Amino acid sequence: MTSAISESSITPFDPARMRRTVLEMAYAGSTVHIACAFSIIELLTVLYRHHLRYPGNDPRAEGRDYLVLSKGHGVMAQYACMHELGWLEDSHIQNYFKDGTDLKGLSDSRVAGLEVTSGSLGHGFSVGVGIALGLKRKGTDQKVFAIVGDGELNEGPIWEGALVAAHHRLNNLMLIVDKNGFQAMGTTDDVLALGDLQAKFSSFGFETLEVDGHDEAAIDAAIRQLWDTCPTKPKALLARTVKGKGVSFMEAVNLWHYTRLDPQSFAEAVRELGFTAVSK
Amino acid sequence: MREAFSNALVRLAIADSKVLLLTGDHGYSLFDEFRKSCPDQYINVGIAEQNMVGMAAGLARVGFRPFVYGLAAFIPIRTVEQIKLDIAHDDLPVVLLGDGAGFVYSHLGTSHQSTEDIACTRAIPRLQVLSPADRFEMTAAMDYAYATVGPVYLRMGKADLGDVHTEPIHSLQPGRLLKIRDGRCDRPGLISTGSMLRAALDIAISLDLMLWSAPMLKPLDVDDVRAAVQATNGLVTLEEHSMLGGLGAAISEITSEHQPTRVLRIGVPDRFSEHCGTHAYLLREHGLDIDSVRDRVGAFCQMLASNSIALA
Repeated sequence: MTSAISESSITPFDPARMRRTVLEMAYAGSTVHIACAFSIIELLTVLYRHHLRYPGNDPRAEGRDYLVLSKGHGVMAQYACMHELGWLEDSHIQNYFKDGTDLKGLSDSRVAGLEVTSGSLGHGFSVGVGIALGLKRKGTDQKVFAIVGDGELNEGPIWEGALVAAHHRLNNLMLIVDKNGFQAMGTTDDVLALGDLQAKFSSFGFETLEVDGHDEAAIDAAIRQLWDTCPTKPKALLARTVKGKGVSFMEAVNLWHYTRLDPQSFAEAVRELGFTAVSK
Repeated sequence: MREAFSNALVRLAIADSKVLLLTGDHGYSLFDEFRKSCPDQYINVGIAEQNMVGMAAGLARVGFRPFVYGLAAFIPIRTVEQIKLDIAHDDLPVVLLGDGAGFVYSHLGTSHQSTEDIACTRAIPRLQVLSPADRFEMTAAMDYAYATVGPVYLRMGKADLGDVHTEPIHSLQPGRLLKIRDGRCDRPGLISTGSMLRAALDIAISLDLMLWSAPMLKPLDVDDVRAAVQATNGLVTLEEHSMLGGLGAAISEITSEHQPTRVLRIGVPDRFSEHCGTHAYLLREHGLDIDSVRDRVGAFCQMLASNSIALA
């Protein structure tokens, strides 16, 4: 099985390489949601590199930690991580969206490595709350990370789940908000203002920190600090991110929620990431 | 019947500590015994059904066996998407318990009534749909739901109408009809489910019709339905559910493809309840009181008889 990190000279979960993987998938499949994936690249880098435990490098290991991608639209970023891990092969990337293949445009839990079927928003977090409650009942030290979009916070079940998480003191659960400030039709401020999220989650009973969602060291430190403080509370990490981060003409341009790559924009984006040769 | 439900749930939970009861703040007295016997397996997640169903999926993912309780107007109806995506798509062993189906909450109006739940759940892949009629079917249905280790919707309707069966049912088999009584083969056979089975029995006795109970609406055994057609000169279905998408539809889907016959579907017309009143009153409003049903079945018998004379 080919995988990027089997080549010992490179650092696993390198953000630029993972963005290139996303571009290769999106170009191969002529698909959208590139910007949704780019905003969570560094968050996933830190989680996979330093926090998520997969005994035996097995995506279905019973003792694993759970990464619940509630914002299923960012799934290409998770595919890129799974490619780094060797769970996906180069052919999965190159054949994205080909007839009869398994990797879909939104998270589907039948793919080993994806924990929930999401994309319809406001589902994954509740499932994550149930997983966290179950793991606590079993008395394990496994952790649950649930990544939601800020637009996804429009969905009511997120807040139902937040009440339950605090009520049951789910200190093994970390909600990570990809706060890129955009949703499908505009900015979160214009569509449905979220107000002070730190105050909101704190008032719901979460231990809450805000962080630059593209600063790997800061993300790592914030996650460790959240686990280490206030042992009875669920955690919320509010990650300030840039939708489309990493490619200048995509950054904070909401068109890249929907836009497909053409040969020119693909080549330009890959070049911006510091890669000269386009693998195909 | 509710006691049979409670007893079965308590028995299953005592035998298997992975069984959890999740409720959306409903079922106060119904769960007295459960809360006494298995307090650690009882989780009231608050008035938040969508999150509750998602949570049940998460609990099932890490090895628990959630039974999710709500009124049928909410479980399944309010949470159809969570059931489809979080539970059925991933084939998780969650039992969804929809109480008060049909017109049980007759005085409270449409918000608490549920006549579309079978139609909605039957169309969700992998989800099995149970609809027990009396305490014996309830016990067997709960055992079947637990043994299934997959997604199940168990519909509970009006529960104080008395027994139809005379003894415990050993076990439910997937999709099988239960023969309740024999009757004339030159008349239509009657198939009913859930709360209407009691009235169906009275009508079957008075018109000497064969009667089957359908404690399971999905799957539904094709051979059993074919056999019912072959044993009679037509079929009548009777249910406290919309005529669209319920028992009548399920039977007609089979007969039209495998064993064509005339089928009279008796259920709730395609309309909401208009008035307030007792359960019996609302059945009358929708033409489901026993006199109206008997008249329609009687007319159907005559129509089939005259058709056969005309054909002869």
